[in-house]
Amino acid sequence: MKHWWWKFLAIALLLVASIAGLRVPLSPALVHVSPSRISPGEVNIEVTGYNTRFSEGMRAYLENEGQYVCPVRVEVIDATHARITAVVPAGLRASMTDLVVQGLKYPGAFFTEGLGDGIESGPCGPSTNKLDMSGLAFTFPNRSILYESIRNLHFHVPMWFTMIALMGISVWRSIQVLGNNSLDRDRQARSAVHVGLLFCALGLTTGAVWARATWGAFWTNDVKLNGAAVTALIYLAYLVLRGSIPDAHKRARLAAIYNIFAFVLLVMFLFVVPRLNAIDSLHPGNGGNSGFNDLDLDNRLRVIFYPAVAGWILLGIWLYDLRHRSLRINEHLDR
Amino acid sequence: MRTAFTLALLILHILPAAAQAPTWLEDQLYGGGKLNAVIAVVSIILLGIGIWLWAQDRRLKRMEKAIEKKTM
Amino acid sequence: MLLYVVSAVYVAYLSVKGGLGTATWNALFWIILLFAAFNALSRSFQREDQGRQLYLYTLVDPRSVVLARSLYNALTMVLLSLLSLVFYTLFLGGEVLAEADLPQFLLAVVLGGIGFAAALTLISAIAARAGNGLGLMAILGFPIVLPMLLAVLRASKLALDGVAWSVTGTYFLGLVLLDVITVTLAWLLFPYLWRD
Repeated sequence: MKHWWWKFLAIALLLVASIAGLRVPLSPALVHVSPSRISPGEVNIEVTGYNTRFSEGMRAYLENEGQYVCPVRVEVIDATHARITAVVPAGLRASMTDLVVQGLKYPGAFFTEGLGDGIESGPCGPSTNKLDMSGLAFTFPNRSILYESIRNLHFHVPMWFTMIALMGISVWRSIQVLGNNSLDRDRQARSAVHVGLLFCALGLTTGAVWARATWGAFWTNDVKLNGAAVTALIYLAYLVLRGSIPDAHKRARLAAIYNIFAFVLLVMFLFVVPRLNAIDSLHPGNGGNSGFNDLDLDNRLRVIFYPAVAGWILLGIWLYDLRHRSLRINEHLDR
Repeated sequence: MRTAFTLALLILHILPAAAQAPTWLEDQLYGGGKLNAVIAVVSIILLGIGIWLWAQDRRLKRMEKAIEKKTM
Repeated sequence: MLLYVVSAVYVAYLSVKGGLGTATWNALFWIILLFAAFNALSRSFQREDQGRQLYLYTLVDPRSVVLARSLYNALTMVLLSLLSLVFYTLFLGGEVLAEADLPQFLLAVVLGGIGFAAALTLISAIAARAGNGLGLMAILGFPIVLPMLLAVLRASKLALDGVAWSVTGTYFLGLVLLDVITVTLAWLLFPYLWRD
């Protein structure tokens, strides 16, 4: 129990993070509103919600630059579908009108041509009492485009964290190799790279799938993706270098030198240069794209994300340990 | 070396940006409020780790055989 | 080396008839430079035999050797880049340079040349020690130089568009930082290459 408590911790963390990552519901949101343009006169609006609980007598209104249009009739079909009838007055100030149902806003729901200098605002603005969210207390943000795939944050992103952690371990071992020429340390460095490449491959494939679902392409020319490709190339080159040197001690030293050199430049490329340049990126947190801070208003993603990262890193270390030990036994056998 | 080439092949296989997904794939990914994208990602991870474990298993088997030979 | 650059530029001239956009002009220039760098620097450690090198390292500190080598290679690269820039504009037209911020572009070329030289000097030493020639050099060097190439491409593109110093300042700062770190790493790691 003394030395392997962390393996239990890894499993426990992964279990909690995976179950929560898959089970926690998305917060309710309006996902579809039709028609998309309105003109003065009576209009029938079909609203589709996601995880919503539409009910008779719910509040609904149209908002145009702070002015409100009250509905004539709100007809609830089921918990996620409703039909709203409203009479749109002439003279809306802004071309985009928002729809608000049960306190959930669908921004820019309608487009209007022929603007005026304002309407008489109806008596149905935002409710002052708090939204009823009972039963959906702990939810993930519901973002258009992402929707349920926001859960991938807990699966795809930890792959990269784990890879970097393993490559970090590898470099640490490589520095030790330069210090004491230990073949044991060299074997550890090599094992860490092996497992790191596994996580790199997982990160690339899962990233490709998620990218297809959100951006519509498997691969985009993005700093983070370039970084991933460069990382893969560097460590494949590392393995090729190892394969081309027959002498064990020489191999250990040359591989260690290349490993350290490449890792430092890689870290520069992945973390320092993008920050200096503010290069455009589709990934969150770069080039005007919303990151954690905007996406995760009440830390609900983070509460699951950090345990997930910790769990995956521990699992990566576990795999690395297995690999290293089996390599060591193998070398004993060959002797 | 062999692992390196397999990985290189795998990555080269993924890289082509131009490759557009067929529509059925798109439908699959977008289904269920994009929940299928999550299922795909989780399956890939489990499959990947499974393949790694399988390879490790084979290595151990080779070693076991070597031990048997030595002791015989 | 110069012959290589001239022929590469000439091939580019033959294959690209008509005008080039700024982006393509820039990219093509850096690709030619990249391959020139690989060609020029892969020889830097390969030409000498092991015995002579060992003799050299008993005489002087290996760190001064790598510094001297990097310096020499950097100078070669800078000279080569500037010359190829001249040929490049001669053959492929310099209309692109008309609205460019020339000092900025030259700075990008110089910093890029130094960076390539510093990174590839160490890589070529590793490849030479591994006893495997040019093939290994390309495999090892390409992923290391790629980030540098991307950074320098961006900086020089901005310079060609004539963007003000206040905007490009951070880019050049990043490039200088990259160069300094590369040289420092080479200086730190090189002595371990020769310990047998």
